Amino acid sequence: MVVVALVVAIATYLTWLALRLDRLAARVAAARGGLVTQLVARAQAAGVLAERAALSDLADSVARVRAIHPVLLAGGPLDRGVELAENALSRSLRSGEVAAAGQRFPAELHSVDSEAARVALARQFHNDAVRDLRALAGRRLVRVLHLAGRRPTPGYFEIDDALPARGDLPGLAS
Amino acid sequence: MRIGIACPYTWDVPGGVQVHVRDLAETLIAAGHEVSVITPVDDERTLPPYAVDAGRALPVRYNGSVARLLMGPVSAARVRRWLREHDFDVLHVHEPSAPSVSLLACMLADGPIVATFHTANPRSRFLTAAQGALQPSFEKLRARIAVSEAARRTLVEHLGADAILIPNGVAVDDFAGATPLPGYADGRPTVVFLGRIDEPRKGLDVLLAAMLQLATTVGDARLLVAGPGDTAGLRARLDPRLRERVDLIGLVSDADKPRVFASGQVYCAPNTGQESFGIVLLEAMAAGTPVVASDLDAFRRVLDDGRAGRLFEVGDPGRLAEVLAEVLGDPGGTGPGSTAERVRHAHTVARSYDWPTIAERIVGVYRMVSGDGRVSVASN
Repeated sequence: MVVVALVVAIATYLTWLALRLDRLAARVAAARGGLVTQLVARAQAAGVLAERAALSDLADSVARVRAIHPVLLAGGPLDRGVELAENALSRSLRSGEVAAAGQRFPAELHSVDSEAARVALARQFHNDAVRDLRALAGRRLVRVLHLAGRRPTPGYFEIDDALPARGDLPGLAS
Repeated sequence: MRIGIACPYTWDVPGGVQVHVRDLAETLIAAGHEVSVITPVDDERTLPPYAVDAGRALPVRYNGSVARLLMGPVSAARVRRWLREHDFDVLHVHEPSAPSVSLLACMLADGPIVATFHTANPRSRFLTAAQGALQPSFEKLRARIAVSEAARRTLVEHLGADAILIPNGVAVDDFAGATPLPGYADGRPTVVFLGRIDEPRKGLDVLLAAMLQLATTVGDARLLVAGPGDTAGLRARLDPRLRERVDLIGLVSDADKPRVFASGQVYCAPNTGQESFGIVLLEAMAAGTPVVASDLDAFRRVLDDGRAGRLFEVGDPGRLAEVLAEVLGDPGGTGPGSTAERVRHAHTVARSYDWPTIAERIVGVYRMVSGDGRVSVASN
């Protein structure tokens, strides 16, 4: 009787752990999707600014990330190569050239800045989800019993997405 | 969007989280969203049409205030039904670390969930002890919002999770142009205090000590104290010299709050610590009343390092009396450093916290996390 109860309790606990892992994997997948969508949106806005203001450096960075976005949209990994390309775009967006162009194209620059701010948020949501998943998947019981299945452990996505200082966003008076 | 909001504290008991939830819900509705709030409530008749009763809550001392909490099978059933009936695009839980409706909703729901953390408490024994128990619910949160830097830090320290900072909103237009309360339109120099009178960290004792000293420099200065608590007890232990100078009017309705600010020449926030965000300061700033506040991190930030109001050393009645005397005796110029200049700047700061602006940022978060599927009832 006691043995049966114990087995049921253990089985219930393991099922619950597996359910949590599934749920976290779904959250990571959703966050990844949101992040990729946002990277594409930033590139799109940056492309518009580069074209209108005829900024060749920015156009080059945009072309570089655009070349890899189809792979990401098809489920390709957010790896080092992606980080480097997106970092290069972040750097171009902080250049003096872009700030100067913003004088003539304020609407375009504002749109780039809002999309870039959302990239920073999407990246935080993604990395938070990854951290929660890794914490649970890293538990000894989960590893020993292979509860996470064959799913690869997702990695963090680290890029420099700090926004250039162009005046405060509303409500950010901190 | 269809938005479900869970509020952990009793709706008809005054509190910052409840006000935040109400203002957010009403701003979202005005912007065309469909919103339903679930909250504990004592008297169901006080609920607005967009809110649903989760049951009665029990009072518990938590983080220096009395919080009223709720966990149980009846509330769980109500939360589950609420989730099932509404088919939300996003569920927004407030203060899910409190054992109440928000945590219940978090446990019972699956899908896009956003949480807002209000409390700043660097040494919360409760949070430290509960961390393991909360983790399974918290790992469902797609996005975490903190209303202040201090609240964000509390979250990072206790739960190892980061949060984005979106401050509290203020209904700026509700506070502008109010008329003073009856008996306060006579121009007699009046200092306004607003907050619980029997919570030491609200600092009323510091202000009362300052008023004694202020009496020697500004002869006819008086203090208007608005806020709940034991007014009779306070009146009894008041220094006899202050009896004619201190008016205790008790709890004021939200509708009268702008009139309270309009009744004073200066609003004073003498808090001695643990204040996560200066929401009342922003309300005074929106009302156009000059602000004098203790030099706490949160207040310094809201007052833009003193450019939008005066700061004084925390818990120092002597300094407070001096600063109050300076503001009350303001010669009326409009140049840099003048009270008028500070009030003008304060209004600009308050504008950046206006609810429509803040709600738009929160909706931005909703949209980012709610790409795939709706909120459903969890299968476990």
